[in-house]
Amino acid sequence: MNVDHAATSSSLSSGSASQDAVVQLQDVHLTLPSDAGDVNILRGISLDVAKGEAVGLVGPSGSGKSTLLMVLAGLERQSSGSVHLAGADFSKLNEDGLAKFRLAHVGIVFQSFHLVPTMTALENVAVPLELAGHADPFGKAAEELEHVGLGHRLSHYPGQLSGGEQQRVALARAVAGDPEILLADEPTGNLDGTTGEQIIDLMFDLHKRRGTTMVLITHDADLAQACDRVVRLRDGQVENIAPGTGRVMPQDKVTG
Amino acid sequence: MARSWTLATSYARRELRGGLAGFRVFLACLTLGVAAIAGVGSVSSALVEGLSQEGQTILGGDVALRLAHREATPEEFAYISQGTRVTKNAEMRAMAQAPRTDERTLIELKSVDGLYPLYGDVTLNPQMDLADALAKKEGRFGVAVEPNLMDRLNAQVGDILKIGELDVELRAVIEHEPDRVGGGLALGPRVFVNDAAMAETGLIRQGSLVQFFYRIQMPEDARTNGAVAAWVDDLREALPDAGWRIQDRSDSAPSVRRFVERVALFLSLVGLTALVVGGVGVGNAVNSYLEGKREVIATFKCLGAPGTLIFQMYLVQVMALAIVGVVLGLLLGSIIPFVVQQVAGDMIPIPTRFALYMGPLVLAGAYGLLTALAFAIWPLARAREIPASSLFRDLITPTRRWPRVPYILATGFSLLGLVGLAVGLTEERLFAIWFVVGAAASFVILRLTAVGFMALAKRAPRIRVPELRLAIANLHRPGAATSSVVLSLGLGLTLLVAVSLIDGNISQQVSDELPDRAPSFFFVDIGPDQVDGFEALVRAVDGVHEFNRVPMLRGKITDVAGTASENLSVPPNVKWALQGDRGITYSREMPEGSTLVRGDWWPQDYSGKMLVSLSEELAAGFGVGPGDEITVNVLGRNLTAEIANTREIDWTTVGINFVLVFSPGVLESAPHTFLATVSMDAGEEAALQRSVTRAYPNITSVRVKEALEAVNSMVEDFALAVRAISMVTLVAGVLVLGGAMAAGHRRRVYDAVVLKVLGATRGRVLTAYLYEYALLGFGTAIIASAAGGLVAWLVITQVMDARWTFLPGTLVATVVGAAVLTIVLGLAGTWQALSAKAAPVLRAE
Ligand SMILES: Nc1ncnc2c1ncn2[C@@H]1O[C@H](COP(=O)(O)OP(=O)(O)O)[C@@H](O)[C@H]1O
Ligand SMILES: [Mg+2]
Repeated sequence: MNVDHAATSSSLSSGSASQDAVVQLQDVHLTLPSDAGDVNILRGISLDVAKGEAVGLVGPSGSGKSTLLMVLAGLERQSSGSVHLAGADFSKLNEDGLAKFRLAHVGIVFQSFHLVPTMTALENVAVPLELAGHADPFGKAAEELEHVGLGHRLSHYPGQLSGGEQQRVALARAVAGDPEILLADEPTGNLDGTTGEQIIDLMFDLHKRRGTTMVLITHDADLAQACDRVVRLRDGQVENIAPGTGRVMPQDKVTG
Repeated sequence: MARSWTLATSYARRELRGGLAGFRVFLACLTLGVAAIAGVGSVSSALVEGLSQEGQTILGGDVALRLAHREATPEEFAYISQGTRVTKNAEMRAMAQAPRTDERTLIELKSVDGLYPLYGDVTLNPQMDLADALAKKEGRFGVAVEPNLMDRLNAQVGDILKIGELDVELRAVIEHEPDRVGGGLALGPRVFVNDAAMAETGLIRQGSLVQFFYRIQMPEDARTNGAVAAWVDDLREALPDAGWRIQDRSDSAPSVRRFVERVALFLSLVGLTALVVGGVGVGNAVNSYLEGKREVIATFKCLGAPGTLIFQMYLVQVMALAIVGVVLGLLLGSIIPFVVQQVAGDMIPIPTRFALYMGPLVLAGAYGLLTALAFAIWPLARAREIPASSLFRDLITPTRRWPRVPYILATGFSLLGLVGLAVGLTEERLFAIWFVVGAAASFVILRLTAVGFMALAKRAPRIRVPELRLAIANLHRPGAATSSVVLSLGLGLTLLVAVSLIDGNISQQVSDELPDRAPSFFFVDIGPDQVDGFEALVRAVDGVHEFNRVPMLRGKITDVAGTASENLSVPPNVKWALQGDRGITYSREMPEGSTLVRGDWWPQDYSGKMLVSLSEELAAGFGVGPGDEITVNVLGRNLTAEIANTREIDWTTVGINFVLVFSPGVLESAPHTFLATVSMDAGEEAALQRSVTRAYPNITSVRVKEALEAVNSMVEDFALAVRAISMVTLVAGVLVLGGAMAAGHRRRVYDAVVLKVLGATRGRVLTAYLYEYALLGFGTAIIASAAGGLVAWLVITQVMDARWTFLPGTLVATVVGAAVLTIVLGLAGTWQALSAKAAPVLRAE
C-alpha cells in the first residue's frame, strides 16, 4: 500500500522535511531552569517520522527521551526550533490548542500508566471519547477494553488492577480515539517480562492494523530493533539513526 | 498501660516534628468554635454581673415601690421614709407638641423631686444640673428630653413645648439616665419635668394612667442584700394592702436579666453548633493526616506494634493539637468582651462589668476538648485497624470496618458530654433540649441526604455532556468530599435559613399583618367628663371607620382563691399576671374577640355581688374556675369578686381586651378613665391626632404604626445580632469546605493534568469543576433550606402559635448565596490545579 511505501521511503531520507512526514522536528532545543542554573535538555534535534512508521527511541537514562516525547505531545514547549505534527505548527498553538490537537491526533502511554485512580477502567477509557463528542463513548470504551482483554474488568478501579492490567487500560485509552500518532514512554518499564510482552504485542498489532504512526521509547534493544527505525539520543542530541529489522507479528498469539 | 502511654507520647513527639501543615483547618475550626462560645459567655457574664452589681443604680434605689393611679398615703409614706431617703417619681405616657413646628409625639413623662437620682448621675447636654434644668425661670418650667424627641418634633434647645396644658422650655438633652433599664419598653422619648410642673400639666387626674414610684435609699449600714430583704419583709407585713409592686436591688431588672440570659444561652448553643460543624473539619483533618500516615502505621505494625499503641500515639498528637486550638480559642474569646467594650460600649444600654470570667472560659474549653475527642476517636480507631499489608494498597480499598465497640462508646460518651453540658448547665432546660434535638436531627438528616445524594450521583444516567458527567461522577467518587461538605455547610445554612425565616415571619407580622388588623390609634386617659365630647369629635373626622371605648382602671391581683399572690406558685407562663398591676375593666356584655370556656356571662341588668370574668389561660395557670374568688387592689382598696366564667381571648386582633372583666357596680363608681380605639384611613391619622391634642391636651394618643415601628426596630436589632452569630456557624462550614478542598488538592491537580493530556482544554476542565461545585452548593442549599424551613415552621406555628408565611425570597437568597459561595471557594481552591504544568506532574509519578 501507499502507506507502507511512504514509510519506507521516509526512513531512507531521514532528517529532511518530507511532504508525507507526520512528525517534523527541526533543530529543537529545550532549556529548563533548575536550582543549579539552566539545563540544556534538548540540544538541536531534527527528526522526521513518516505516516505509519514505527520509531524506537533509545539512549542512556537522562539523555532526554522522555522530554522529547513531552515536546511531541505538546506537553512541553521547545525553547527554539520548530515542531510540526500532522501538519500543525506547535508554535502557533496555545495550551488549549495543543490539548485539542492531542484530542484529535495523539494517544500517549506512560511508564506509570497515569490512570485517574478514582475512575473505573471503563470511565478512564471513555474520557477522551467523551471529550471528542463520540456518539457512544462507553460502548466504544468497552469495545476497546474488550480488545485488550479486559472485558471483565470494566468497573474496576485502577487500584484493584495489576500493573499489566492498568497498562492495558492506559493503552486502550490511548488508542480509543483512533489517533494518527501513538506515543509511548517505556510502556513496559514497570512490568515483568511476559506482561510487558503482551502490551508490546497489542501496540504493534494496533500499529499494523490501523496504520498508526508510533514513537516508542524503550530500554529494550530487541524491542527497539522491532521498529522501522531506531533513533539513539545522547546528551539531548541525536547520536545516530539506524534502520530496524521490523517486527514479525506472531499473528496467532495476539490479543489475549 | 502507663508504659504504653509513655511510649506513645515519645513516638508522638517524634512524629509531630514533621510539622503541622495539615492541621491548619483543624486548629481554625476548634479555635473559632471555642472563641465564639467563650466570647458569648464572657460578654453575657459582663452584662449579668453589671446588672447585679449596679442593681441599686438600675432600680434607682435599694428598694423601689410602684403604685398605679395613686400616691402613697401619708401613713404609708411615713413608714417607708423612716430612717431612709425617699425620692418620689410620677411616670406616665403623654403627648408633647411643639407649636413652632406644629409636630406632636407620644412621650414617656417622668417627674422628679430634689432627691432624684439617689444612685448614679443624670448627665445633660448642655451640661447643667438636673434641678436647674427643670426649675421655673422667668415664669416657665424647663424640661430635659431624650435626643430622639428633637427629631420627632423637629425641635431644638430653647423651643417651647406644650405638655398637657403647660408650656415648658426645652432646656437640655438627656445623655444618660441612670435608671433607664428598669423602665421597660419605651414607646416615646423620655421627658423629665419637676413635681411642680407635673402638677400644672393637668395630666394627673382621677383615674389617669399614672404610676408613682417611691425609690428608697437605706442608711449606709443597711444596704446589704440581706438587710434590704429584711426591710422588705417588714414592709409587706406592716402594709399588706398597699397593692404596690416591690422590687429590690438584688434583682433590679429581672426581665432584662432573663432576656440577657436567654439570648446568651441561644447564642452559646449557636456557638456550640459552630463547634460541632468545625468538628466535621476536625474529623476530616485527622482522617487525611492518618491517610498520609498509612505507611508509617503499616510499618509500625510490621515491626510488631499493637493497635492500641497506634491509637494512643495518634490520640496524643491530636489532643496536643486540640489543646493548642482550644487555648487559642480561649485567648481570642476572652478578648472579645474588651473588643465589644471598645467598639460598642456606649451603645449597650445596661451597666457592664468587663473582666476575665473563669466560668465561661472553662466551659468553652471543655466544649472544645470534647468536640475534638468526639470527632477524632472515630478515625483514630479505624487507623489502628490498618493492616501491615496496606503498604501495598491504596485509596480505593480503605479499611471499611467500623471501629471496635470501646471506641464507638468513647465517641458516644464525648457527644453525651457535650449535650450534658449544654442542657445541664442552664435553667432554660427545655429550650436547650429542643435546640440540641433540632441540631442533632438536622445533623442526621444532612448525613443521610449526603449519602442519598452520592447514591443518586452514582446511579445517574450517563449524561451526554462530558463536563457534567465528570462533575456528577466526582460527587460520588471514592474519597469525595461531598458528605462532609453537605454536612458542615448544610448545618450552618440550616441554622441561617431557620433564623432568617423566623425573623422574617416575625417582622412580617409586626410590620405588615398587625397594622392591617390593629386599630390606627389607642387613646388613653380620656376623662369621664370628656368621653362623650371626645367620641363626637372623633366620629366627625373623615375616614374614621370604627370607634370603640371602654372604661379602664388598673389593679393588682393580691389574692387568688384565698392565697396571697406572693405565696402562690404558678407556672412561668402566667407569672406576669401576678407581677405589678394589670388593666381592668367592667362590662355588661361579653367583649368582642372572646369565647366563653367555662361558666356563664352575667345578665345585662345584673347588680348583685361583684363578679369577674377571667381569661382561661390565667384560670388554668392559677388552678381556679367559676365559683373561686379573686381579690384585686384598685386604688388602695381590696375588691373581692367571684369568678363567674372564663374566656378564651383572641389576642391577634389587637383590639381592646382585658384578662379581668368585672361586672358593673362597684367599679362604675370608682374614679376611672376611658380607653378608646379608632380605626381609620391612614391618610387622615395626622389630622385626627392634631385635633385631639388641640381639644384635649391631657389625652394621650398612641399611634399603633409608630408603636409597632418601635417594637420592630428592637426585633430587627436583635435579629441582626442573632444572624451575625449564626454566621460563625457558616464560617465554620466554609472552613470545613476549604479543608476538604485543600485535602483533595493533590488529587485535583493530578486529575486536571491527566485530563489535559487526554486532550481537555482548560475551559472544559474548569467547566467540569464549576458544574461539580454548583451541584454541591445547590444540593446542599436545597437540603438545608428544607431542613431550616421545617425548623422555622415548627417554631412559628407550634412554639409561637403564629401564622406562617412562606418567604421564598429569603430561601432563594440563601440557596443562591450558598451555591455562589461553594463555587467561588471551590474554584479558588482549584485555580492552581487548572494552571498546573503537565510535565512535572507526569514525571513525578
Ligand atoms: N523540569 C526539569 N528541570 C530541570 N531538569 C530536568 C527537568 N526535567 C528533566 N530534567 C533533566 O533533563 C534530563 C533529561 O531527562 P529525561 O528526558 O527524563 O531523560 P530520559 O527520559 O532520557 O531518561 C535529565 O537530566 C533530567 O534530570
Ligand atoms: Mg524517561
